[in-house]
Amino acid sequence: MELFFNPFDNLVCILLGISFTVWFTLLLVFIIVPAIFGVSFGIRRLYMKSLLKIFEWATLRIERGAKEKNHQLYKPYSNAIIAKEPTSLEEEIKEIRRSGSNRDLDSASEFEMSDIFYFARRGVESIMDDEVTKRFSAEELESWNLLTRSNYNFQYISMRLTVLWGLGLLIRYGILLPLRVTLAFTGVGLLVFLTSVIGLLPNGRIKNFLSQKVHLMCYRICVRALTAIITYHDSENKPKNGGICVANHTSPIDVIILASDGCYAMVGQIHGGLMGVIQKSMVKACPHIWFERSEVKDRHLVAKRLSDHVEDKSKLPILIFPEGTCINNTSVMMFKKGSFDIGATVYPVAIKYDPRFGDAFWNSSKFGMVNYLLRMMSSWAIVCSVWYLPPMSREEGEDAVQFANRVKAAIARQGGLVDLLWDGGLKRAKVKDTFKEEQQKLYSKMLVGTQEDRSRS
Amino acid sequence: MGASQTRSESVYQELMDKTGFSLEQIKNLKKRFLHLSGNEETISRENLDAIPALANNPIRKQIIEAFFDKRNQRSSEVGHLEEIGFEQFVMVMSHFRPPALRTSVEEREVMRKEKLQFLFNMHDTDNDGVITLVEYRKVVEELLSKSGAIGHEAARAIADAAMLEVASTNVPDMAPDDFYEGITFEHFEQILKGLEMESRMHIRFLDVDTSTMRCGKSTS
Repeated sequence: MELFFNPFDNLVCILLGISFTVWFTLLLVFIIVPAIFGVSFGIRRLYMKSLLKIFEWATLRIERGAKEKNHQLYKPYSNAIIAKEPTSLEEEIKEIRRSGSNRDLDSASEFEMSDIFYFARRGVESIMDDEVTKRFSAEELESWNLLTRSNYNFQYISMRLTVLWGLGLLIRYGILLPLRVTLAFTGVGLLVFLTSVIGLLPNGRIKNFLSQKVHLMCYRICVRALTAIITYHDSENKPKNGGICVANHTSPIDVIILASDGCYAMVGQIHGGLMGVIQKSMVKACPHIWFERSEVKDRHLVAKRLSDHVEDKSKLPILIFPEGTCINNTSVMMFKKGSFDIGATVYPVAIKYDPRFGDAFWNSSKFGMVNYLLRMMSSWAIVCSVWYLPPMSREEGEDAVQFANRVKAAIARQGGLVDLLWDGGLKRAKVKDTFKEEQQKLYSKMLVGTQEDRSRS
Repeated sequence: MGASQTRSESVYQELMDKTGFSLEQIKNLKKRFLHLSGNEETISRENLDAIPALANNPIRKQIIEAFFDKRNQRSSEVGHLEEIGFEQFVMVMSHFRPPALRTSVEEREVMRKEKLQFLFNMHDTDNDGVITLVEYRKVVEELLSKSGAIGHEAARAIADAAMLEVASTNVPDMAPDDFYEGITFEHFEQILKGLEMESRMHIRFLDVDTSTMRCGKSTS
């Protein structure tokens, strides 16, 4: 047999070899090593800023295109029927009056016949749509993030934009996706391997210390695998041992986001397949709480295991998502009361994703897990904010449901999410009148300034 | 799409013409109507009363009543209904429709007059075409707190002063002993003449399919 050695082939081999080496070195230096030590070069933030500039430009082009054709544009992120302005009562009434009379009204202190407009409009608004405001006004066009999956304004895209979009597609699927998939495999593989190794050590301080470091490192690699740019606020309120950490749930990524900043004991059902392997190896290194499928239904068993874990102060805080399912990150739904019944300190955490970079919400009826992960890995980035709220405990005379609602309200308020507390209003019957009186008081306080000057007839 | 689109379009065409809403807006309103009525054909006052967000509006009663007022149906009937169907619901809502991108000056005038008529009807509860002092006092008292900074007497005084102002503007040579009947619609229009209503008294619809995505089993 003759070996055909073409000098050209040789060259190609050498080039390939060099580029692989370079690539892996870069990967190691810029991503894996910082992940191990928990430092950051700031590359991701720079990336985020440049992306934002590009999105702004793209949005302007679309707006221009739409204006030329004199059409209304679709606003993809709203889920309300009407747009509500987040102005206060005083501001709006001033506006109404200013547009009406010629008098110079700097103070809103006199009653005008037109004041009733404001209340009439608000009233009809409530009838039309009572899912309360979104945080940002829905009138402004959300910037287009060059992902066609989130854009409804195709007909306004010019040639330049299409080119840019095509380029973006190439970059995302050609460069970013393989890179991220590699990282993801590295992260998960390391996690499984290292935790199994640590599991061989005897229980003790060294084991705990090592297991924490390993967990953190692997989760950080996973965070970089998704190009998640996370801002943590109020880290002094981070959950401590013997507590329960409670957060709102938007996607399975929430776990990775929280676990890359602190060590938690996870709670969940044992799955088969790859997830099962990961779960089994994780539990070797430090105690997580995994349930068999049959055990999940047994509430007492669940509660008992959770409280046992919580009482042992050497064990890590438990991480729970009480909503039970993924919500689309505009609201916080009913919290299941099980975790609030245990009597431990609750550390609420609010997670809010920035929708400009892609929708992180997992619609499990529409997409499977793998599909979802691929979508996440082929978007530009995942940008989110995490707020650690001060710890809360159940107060005297409060039952689990009220406690759960209190925590939920705190999370919703911090994250700027809608607190969907209303459940038919049967219990709220008494509350209604107080709310009405509050608005009345607000309005009358506004007028009360000139009461003394008013001439009585 | 296709065939079903045109069918629903023809069903709502008449409504679209009468009220000026677009097909998409009418569909959204229909969803909302069904949600409020509990999937029934009609809405009663209790359905509207149960809306939590409406709870903190001081003139809640008047607003709900406005939906059941025959005068707001753009017919010449007067009186009140016990329950309203979808058509009547949309008719009342059309008072708050924003002006389209291109409306002529006459159309704007007509819309303005309708909005003013709506507000007038809210005050004039006995359908006699005139807002008397008693009726006006009632509205003002609802707006102001019964328990807070402004007391009952003060609220009355405010209402009286406002009426006086209307009277002096519209009937300037009224003798001090004359009895001012009440605010007629023309006087009402006069007082609120300069007010720019187009932007203040309308509700901005979002032109987007409002189906929300939910994870897991669909709930609502």
